[in-house]
Amino acid sequence: MSGLDIGGSQLDASWFLLLSAILFTIGTVGVLIRRNPLVILICIELMLNAVNLTLITFSRQLLNLEGQLFALMSITVAAAEAVVGLAILVDIFRVRDVEDIDELSELKG
Amino acid sequence: MAIAVFFVAAAIAVAGAIGVVTFRQPIRSVLSLVVVMIGLSILFLLLSAQFLFVAQIIVYAGAVMVLFLFVIALLGPAREIARSRLRFQTWLSALFVLALLGLIWAMLQGIQYRTPDKADLSIFGTVQSIGIGLFTTYLYPFELTSILLLVAAIGAIYLSRKKVDDL
Amino acid sequence: MSNSQLALLVLLFPAAGAILLAGRGWRLPRIVTQIVGPGVVWASFIGTLALFFGKVHGDYTYWTWIKSGTFEVPFNLLVDNLSIFMCLVITGVGGLIVTYSIGYMEHEDGPSYARFFTYMDVFIFSMLLLVLAGNFVFLIVGWAMVGLSSYLLIGFWYQRRSAVLAARKAFIMNTIGDVGMILGAFVLFVSYHAVTYFGVFQAAADLKRCPPGLVCILPLVHVQDSPTLELAAFLLLVGAVAKSAQLPLHTWLPDAMEGPTPVSALIHAATMVTAGVYLVGRMHPIFDIATYAHNAVAIVGAVTALFAATIAIVQTDIKRVLAYSTMSQIGYMFLAVGIGAYAAGFFHLLAHAFFKALLFLAAGNIIHAMHDEQDMRKFGGLFRQLPRTSWAFLIGSLSLVGLIPLVGYFSKEQILGAAFSKPDDPLAQAVWVVGAITALLTGFYTGRMWWMAFGGKPSPERPVLVPHEARSVMLIPVLILAGLTVVGGFIQTRALGFGPSAVSDFLVSPLGKMDWEGGWIDVAVGLITTALAALLFLAAYRFYVERSWKTWSASYPWAQRLLERKYYFDEIYDAAFVRPLDGLANSGLRDIEQPILDGAVVGTGRLAMASSSSLSLTQSGYFRSYVLVFVGGAVVAAVLLLIRAAS
Repeated sequence: MSGLDIGGSQLDASWFLLLSAILFTIGTVGVLIRRNPLVILICIELMLNAVNLTLITFSRQLLNLEGQLFALMSITVAAAEAVVGLAILVDIFRVRDVEDIDELSELKG
Repeated sequence: MAIAVFFVAAAIAVAGAIGVVTFRQPIRSVLSLVVVMIGLSILFLLLSAQFLFVAQIIVYAGAVMVLFLFVIALLGPAREIARSRLRFQTWLSALFVLALLGLIWAMLQGIQYRTPDKADLSIFGTVQSIGIGLFTTYLYPFELTSILLLVAAIGAIYLSRKKVDDL
Repeated sequence: MSNSQLALLVLLFPAAGAILLAGRGWRLPRIVTQIVGPGVVWASFIGTLALFFGKVHGDYTYWTWIKSGTFEVPFNLLVDNLSIFMCLVITGVGGLIVTYSIGYMEHEDGPSYARFFTYMDVFIFSMLLLVLAGNFVFLIVGWAMVGLSSYLLIGFWYQRRSAVLAARKAFIMNTIGDVGMILGAFVLFVSYHAVTYFGVFQAAADLKRCPPGLVCILPLVHVQDSPTLELAAFLLLVGAVAKSAQLPLHTWLPDAMEGPTPVSALIHAATMVTAGVYLVGRMHPIFDIATYAHNAVAIVGAVTALFAATIAIVQTDIKRVLAYSTMSQIGYMFLAVGIGAYAAGFFHLLAHAFFKALLFLAAGNIIHAMHDEQDMRKFGGLFRQLPRTSWAFLIGSLSLVGLIPLVGYFSKEQILGAAFSKPDDPLAQAVWVVGAITALLTGFYTGRMWWMAFGGKPSPERPVLVPHEARSVMLIPVLILAGLTVVGGFIQTRALGFGPSAVSDFLVSPLGKMDWEGGWIDVAVGLITTALAALLFLAAYRFYVERSWKTWSASYPWAQRLLERKYYFDEIYDAAFVRPLDGLANSGLRDIEQPILDGAVVGTGRLAMASSSSLSLTQSGYFRSYVLVFVGGAVVAAVLLLIRAAS
């Protein structure tokens, strides 16, 4: 049932899903390890893309368009979120030159 | 043939992902992400998501990433200092991430795929079918998403306005 | 206007007066207070007269206050001859006393003046509620409010520490009585599931409800005594004893003389302290069956009468003599209702209201004239200087002694005669002996009081050498009461074996027929007792004016001290109750309240702060730490999902 008939060949949905998992994991690693705020935002975008892949894979496997529509919405929301996140970053950078996200630690206690 | 396309695209995507995470300079990270997106678009096309293939390239790679580039240009190059303040971060991250990957793989083993619905592959994922879906059954989320974009735009403008001191 | 409306108005006039004076009284000119204060009491008196002449008799329910299952409490007023009788005393004598206070309290400033009359009106209202209530709940409400008014009025001059302490003492002892009474009402409710008088009496004493307009004779004999009824009666007796300052809950009454003299006259002579007598009278269907409790009433009364009379002999403060005298006379009333001579007891209540109020008000005139001096040793020779007050005081004193033809003779002899005339009742005979001895002592201490104050030469320690009589507003009520004392006896001269018996006739319908007619031997005994008492009155002259009592007290110093210390009751109560309770309260504060309760509250706060400060350590402020925890949580979730899927 996981087999997909694409362009004459037999592919398996689980390959796509595994790829998606790998991309997601790489993105997570990036968020955890990198200290430049911009790069962290980029890694988050990577994670979002990985999830989109999962959605579209299942959409194709189940032959249900909802997955693709959801992915479309996801792209939109990711765009909006990136915009606002960058605007906030720009605002912070105006006040001080942040090299390391660990410098932004006043909200503690 | 499709299999080969799959593996090529997958390789491109993974390579780009690793690039995103490893490059020191942010601008290289952004460009690596663009590479990832292109790889993913090909995979979308393989999965009969024609509209999304195009949308991904135009919107995501084309607009959002350009936005990122603009911001990087605005903020200038960044240097990451060598010593991190959180000492255990790297080790714990590696641990958790590997655990996560393993668990996801285990979950993938146990997926029970159910039988697909009836659908016509020739129109599956085309602009028409996406359009029909968006403007009939999913009109409400569609409109809400539009409002969300509007809100985000307004928010961004507001947040990045020039602050005058005695306002 | 219907009778039920009239009855309600009688009750509410003083309440309206109190509310007006409390709210606005101190802002309005003094004349308003002087008119409203006594005015509402007189209005109630007129209303009561209307009820009296209209021969009104009814149980009027105005609304239902509580209705919960079988527990139903209406607001009803029982208007029968007994309650009308009491209302006449309360509003009539009360009206005279409140009018008198216009003059007595004139030295008070504006707000205080209004406050006094507010409290007096509250008291009159409470007392009327007490006697008019038709069920136990409102009886208790009136009872408690009367106790409150007493507290407020005793402690009226609250800047005086002694007054505040006296008020507190009165209130606490009254509360002890209240508890007894409430428990008694509970016992009756639990046994008979009724709260109204008729409800309870019907169930307990098989009393048939009396339709308005008819005279009810009460069947008493065929109901069996029961432990429940005895218990209820004893508990009610506790309440009566506290309110009427009988042994052993009597110690508050002498201290209550700290209040202004009109207060002593009204509350502690004419009305509040008679509430106990009213209670026994009203509850007589129960007491008639509960023989032990009934006997206890008589015993308490007799013992108190004698006890108080002995202490009165050594008092030096004129108001305290009158206070102990009151205690003694109420003992007589308890004695009377205790042996079943209810009408005699109430007749003495009426008579005592007349002459005791007279004595207090006249004493007030003297105190006023002596610039607030109350020690009789510093008086002397007032007869020539204050003739009218002296005559009034003399009339009151002789009535107290029980001299013919003053009202005191007829009422006291009615009681003693009723006791004497039951030769086969040992209790009646015993209390007669006690009562007779007390009568002799009454003669003696009253005489002592009169001679010390009015007789002989002025004492060298007199604060005012030339006192002047009181103003009319203070003198006229005194004279009116003196007149009532002189003629009042003639409405019931049964004690002489012949003549009218208006009081006992009037009280037949609520209280039953009084079965003593006064044979010649009873009359003779009564006359002899009275004569002896009068002799002792005169004998006191020798003792006190000629100052020969000093040698007597020197030869028996221990007796003098015993009486002066009031048989050490205050000391005993202090050691037995006050100190242990004080210690308990203090230890409760020190050992329970502060460490445990306060500690728990403070500790909870500290616990919250400690836990929050330790939890806040997780908020390090580092974004990447948060993400790490996030991912860790995702790992845990994944593990759980897999476990669930696997099982």
